[in-house]
Amino acid sequence: MSSERLPIQGGSRVASSALAVTGSAVLAFLALPIIIVVPMSFSSAESLRFPPPGFSLRWYEAFFGDPQWLEAAVNSLVIGVTSSSLALILGTLAAYGLVRGTFLGRSALEANFIMPMVIPPVIIAVALYIFFAKLSILGAYWALIVAHIVVATPYVVLLMSLAIRAFDIRVEQVALTLGASHMQMLTRVLLPNILPNATAAWLFAFVISFDEVVVTLFVAGTHFTVPKRMFNQLVLQINPTITAIATLLIAFSIIAVAIGAWLTKGAGLQSGEEKG
Amino acid sequence: MTDLQTAAEAGTVGIERDRPAQRPRRRDKVFGFGFVVPLLAFITLAFNLPLLLTAAWSLVDPVSGSLTIAHYVEFATSSIYWTVIARTARVAFIVSVLCAVIGYPLAYWMTLLSRRGQVIALAIIVTSFWVSILVRTYAWIVVLGNAGLVNRALQYLGVIDRPIEFLYGELGVIIGMVNVLLPFMLLPLYAAMRQVDPRLRAVAYTLGASQGEFFRRVFFPLSLPALSASFVLVFILSLGFYITPAILGGGRVPLIANMLDILINRFPRWNLASAMSVVLLVLTLVLYGVYQRLRSRRGAASGQG
Repeated sequence: MSSERLPIQGGSRVASSALAVTGSAVLAFLALPIIIVVPMSFSSAESLRFPPPGFSLRWYEAFFGDPQWLEAAVNSLVIGVTSSSLALILGTLAAYGLVRGTFLGRSALEANFIMPMVIPPVIIAVALYIFFAKLSILGAYWALIVAHIVVATPYVVLLMSLAIRAFDIRVEQVALTLGASHMQMLTRVLLPNILPNATAAWLFAFVISFDEVVVTLFVAGTHFTVPKRMFNQLVLQINPTITAIATLLIAFSIIAVAIGAWLTKGAGLQSGEEKG
Repeated sequence: MTDLQTAAEAGTVGIERDRPAQRPRRRDKVFGFGFVVPLLAFITLAFNLPLLLTAAWSLVDPVSGSLTIAHYVEFATSSIYWTVIARTARVAFIVSVLCAVIGYPLAYWMTLLSRRGQVIALAIIVTSFWVSILVRTYAWIVVLGNAGLVNRALQYLGVIDRPIEFLYGELGVIIGMVNVLLPFMLLPLYAAMRQVDPRLRAVAYTLGASQGEFFRRVFFPLSLPALSASFVLVFILSLGFYITPAILGGGRVPLIANMLDILINRFPRWNLASAMSVVLLVLTLVLYGVYQRLRSRRGAASGQG
């Protein structure tokens, strides 16, 4: 790539620096929200002022001292853990069947499983809203978890399909030939080997669920999650407590995704291409 | 939740049943289907069925229960819905063009950077990509507000007297959407550009091409399929955008997704909302087909390169 590049001729030096300026400016534009929000969360000012006039942890105290925010955080955690765990189980089994299976229609099934990632969340939200309402389960906690599983599972299917495809099928065949049942092979040979990928897939599913807003807004009923409360507050007024929550969410996403990427040695970064 | 656990357990039972008696026979026509059954059951019940019912409800008269295409006719004839649909298409187009125009130079510049520079640039893109859309949208309120960073800087510099109203209008929505969707342009584009054989550059220079000529006649044509694919992807994602228009548009710039929210939550017109969902769904799927075709063309191009 860059090492193959020949020395640039004099005439294009202007073009090169113009390119460098444009590129850096676009990167700055991309990073601007994070650059702004994080320092502001430590601001001592009552209003949103940048740069902050002084350092203070008051907005973090406001967040941790507010029972409504804490309730939302607990809900987000419970829903995130439950839905990503169930998504991991369902998605991993399905990924195994899709990759190693020999039955017909596998690509059609895979397309169907990936669909919730492709179509706009608002369509899923509308469909589930009316569906749950007609079944009289709209606003039920478990129905909200079901909705989150729908949204998170495609990521598990994608990541686990990649991992299983990369695992040498001959190891599986040896285990089966030596008398292991499929279940034994799966739990004692395949899973230990793809455990890092499974952990990463769980983390990505968890982040997806934790960040999910649109579907949650439609089907959550009276239950609040962190993004739902954030959204409601943002539409109404500008509350600096949000900067603290936003910073916590930024830290949380970065750590989770960094662990995920490290576990899959960068494979997770590419899968990120499709985040809907 | 208990239903799901039962479903998961049922799946395990299915696996046991599917196990060939003695040795695995890989040519078994139905091998592996049991593994798919739990998710298939779940997706069918919690995703496919609701979508199919949405399509069905879009064709039903809520009072008499008889079949009707009245909801679709209402879209085609009502100026309110046309306004929203036209605005969504316009905003989506502008956002996609802007993403392409500012994303392309960055992606190209990245391919010229050192390995370390590429990693840093990628880290910024991926980080921004994974930060919650709400957080990124929220930041723009702070940056673009009347007392925000941009306005105060411009006033300080004496460029303007009164603050520019970025927020609660189409401009703010577009800026926010470009910021959120730019990674979807950058990541695939950069990946495709890196697949362009570096030897082509050496060959072009050896044959006397300038850097500009190499770019115009070799590099740009090779990256064009990826550029158009990403353009379509950003366009698709823009069509269904809800959060950014709701917050940065302040309700004054409703797109299709916000209209759906109004139809569902404010004045319950579920059948009309269903019809609008179906229109959006069909549009999305058609464009997704286009996107996949462009992506496979990208594969062919890099194969030749």
